Amino acid sequence: MTIIFLLIGISLLVALTFLGAFLWAVRNGQYDDAYTPSVRMLFDEPEPPQ
Amino acid sequence: MACAHCGEDCPPAPLRWSDKDFCCAGCRTVYELLAANNLCSYYTLDERPGLKVREVELPGRFDYLDSEAVQAQLLTFRSQERARLTLPVPQMHCTSCIWLLEHLPRLNPGIVEARVQFLRKEISITYQPEETSLKAVVQLLASVGYEPQITLAELGAQPHRASRTLYYQLGLAAFAFGNVMLLALPDYFSFVEELQAGFGRFFGLLSLALALPVLLVSARSFFRSAWQGLRQRYINLDFPISLGLAALFGVSTVEVLTGRGKGYFDSFTGLVFFMLIGKWVQQRSYDALRFDRDFTSYFPVAVTRLTPAGEQSISVKELKVGHRIRVRHQEVVPADAVLRRGAGQIDYAFVSGESTPVARTSGELVYAGGRQLGEALELEVVREVSQGYLTQLWNNPAFAKQAAPRSLETYANRVGRGFVALTLLLAAGTLGYWAPRDQAVMWRAFTSVLVIACPCALSLATPFALGAALRVLGRHKLYLKNSAVVETLARADTIVFDKTGTLTDTSQAAVQYQGRALSEPEKQLVATAAAQSTHPLSQRLARELAAEPVPLQACREFPGQGIRATAAGGPTVRLGAAAFAAAGSELATPAPRAATPVAGGDADALAAPETHVYVSFDDLPAGYFTFGNVYRPALPAVLAQLGQRYRLAVLSGDTDAEQTRLRAIFGPAAQLLFRQSPADKLAYIAAERARGHTVVMVGDGLNDAGALRAADAGLALTDSLTNFSPACDAILDAAEFGQLANFLSFARACLRAVLVTFGLSFCYNGFGLALAVQGRFNPIVSAILMPISSLSVMLVATVLVGWAARRHHL
Repeated sequence: MTIIFLLIGISLLVALTFLGAFLWAVRNGQYDDAYTPSVRMLFDEPEPPQ
Repeated sequence: MACAHCGEDCPPAPLRWSDKDFCCAGCRTVYELLAANNLCSYYTLDERPGLKVREVELPGRFDYLDSEAVQAQLLTFRSQERARLTLPVPQMHCTSCIWLLEHLPRLNPGIVEARVQFLRKEISITYQPEETSLKAVVQLLASVGYEPQITLAELGAQPHRASRTLYYQLGLAAFAFGNVMLLALPDYFSFVEELQAGFGRFFGLLSLALALPVLLVSARSFFRSAWQGLRQRYINLDFPISLGLAALFGVSTVEVLTGRGKGYFDSFTGLVFFMLIGKWVQQRSYDALRFDRDFTSYFPVAVTRLTPAGEQSISVKELKVGHRIRVRHQEVVPADAVLRRGAGQIDYAFVSGESTPVARTSGELVYAGGRQLGEALELEVVREVSQGYLTQLWNNPAFAKQAAPRSLETYANRVGRGFVALTLLLAAGTLGYWAPRDQAVMWRAFTSVLVIACPCALSLATPFALGAALRVLGRHKLYLKNSAVVETLARADTIVFDKTGTLTDTSQAAVQYQGRALSEPEKQLVATAAAQSTHPLSQRLARELAAEPVPLQACREFPGQGIRATAAGGPTVRLGAAAFAAAGSELATPAPRAATPVAGGDADALAAPETHVYVSFDDLPAGYFTFGNVYRPALPAVLAQLGQRYRLAVLSGDTDAEQTRLRAIFGPAAQLLFRQSPADKLAYIAAERARGHTVVMVGDGLNDAGALRAADAGLALTDSLTNFSPACDAILDAAEFGQLANFLSFARACLRAVLVTFGLSFCYNGFGLALAVQGRFNPIVSAILMPISSLSVMLVATVLVGWAARRHHL
């Protein structure tokens, strides 16, 4: 059953990767504004100048 | 007919441009600018996104932005080819605003990127200093109707920083919670006993390792807040929470290290996680309703100093006694100063509330905070900014809300204090009961009492219930400063109204004409001339006369004084202040109370119950228009609802001419006070509070700033939501005034919802305590009870508030 140590180690590692990804995202400003991007993505491309 | 830009009603003869109607030249200019740059999607994204362009173009208003010192403070990044800054733009309100503001690079190619943070109402702009300048960028923003609000750090403005700490704490707590729960699982099921026997200690130590960062990082804010409270000899809700968390962690650590058990690490991390969610909800509702502007926003950032070498733009802080400064039309006088040159028409609306400008001539003293209307003035500073009248006004201790007086304390804190006493009593009782009987049970029971008494559900009830209430009220254009205001509104027993601008609607003022009868062509000429101006009185007059427009030969507006217009082949009309209309003739002011009051300031201004606009034709006086009071149509209904429950009072700066009318609307019980100066209003509120009443002051946020601030809750009624007063706790859109009684009743319902969730949380705590004192509380009970109580409190609070909102049709 010592495999459990290894398995838990790996699962923790995976979880830590996700925690790291989350912290990276916060650091990167992904959570600074949770509203504007949802509007921004709906804007059309600029019309070609006439 | 609605203006194509701002959607407001157009005057009878709207300005036209490419088949569209506009209410004023400002709106048309914006439309032209957007159309020329192919940006008309602005008008299709949201309904009537435009804002009426009210500000008059002022040459040199943004000159100070060229100054090195100012740029150094505003720019967050700066190099040869890139400069970056973030500006607050409080006017943005819809999808179209985001769209237009992010398309700024198309209006000015020097701007590289513009990004909007909608909830915080900020725009981050990156531009090329070689192509354009900070001044040009700000001017562009102002010209499309989104003038940024610039305050400099040196004036005490707090730069707002996005707080990411909570996200770090939340992420860490969630991570630990999930993993500790997995590790705790074998403990709960008998069929994995074998696993538990072999690995129990390893799992326990691992849980401890995972929970440690939660204690040190995630739970830090609770401990800090409790400690701060203790240092001020004050026990807040975070104190019992910290006590519970500390007990939970301590017991678990001892159990794990001594190998006696597995501890409560799953409950511990779970609790911290849930409470952080509560904090997050709270922060999000605040972010959406942020209005932490202070009075420094009203101060001019820079002033034009006159030196022998010429004009020089300096920061307000550098202003010294004896400096000569220039104040232009619409600019605020930054410091108490003596007028040296020019005719002053000072509008003290922000300081004293009199919107009628006060005339000042050379040699007279002008107080800080007044706004000049009219020609540019030359002033000599006699007192430095920090000692100025405005600063004194705001620094007046009477205006500051006392730190945590009885009535401002939230229910949660008060209940929390009782909780602490009860918990400590119970814990001591448990110790006393078990000490002679069973030492082992004694310690377990003692610590479990501390653990289960952690009032996490209490701390969740308030942010969820009142946060939901804030959002509901925000949807109906009542914006509250924070959730404590909901409680204050719910507890209020006295409502005090300001009259002008609050009970009356200035845009609906009744217009009466006195003087010789006007012929039809004259009426038309007056209407046409009035329509040319953006001044509210002119607009009102043009709407009232509603005559056919006549072609004008010449028309000129003298800001702060009036309009002069000449009809094609006809007479010249002068419309405006008495002195202006009478210029060139020996017109005696027709009434003693007429004209804009001179000298003496407030006292005289208060005596003028109505505002007059004088008319003269070819320099011969004809008469004057009187703008009387019209009460808001919703007023009687609102008062009828409020009168059943609240004590009502009216504080008016005007004479008692309206007393009989007000008495009829307010009923015999209400207190009606007239000729109240801002200081009188303040004193009245303070006296009411001293008598133990909880007072809500409803004003327009301008002429009663002191009273709004002195009241338990100051509610500012405003026609444009960007006109915030720093003194108030809540802002209500004037159009929603009719709902006031409903809002207050909703606030009471929300407070009841909070109390219900408190009750619910006590049920859980009571059940847990019953087990705890018997020493039968164990990790499994804790793991089930704690999350259920937290989740159900969040759910019940949200559902109850939603239900109350539905019942109140909000």
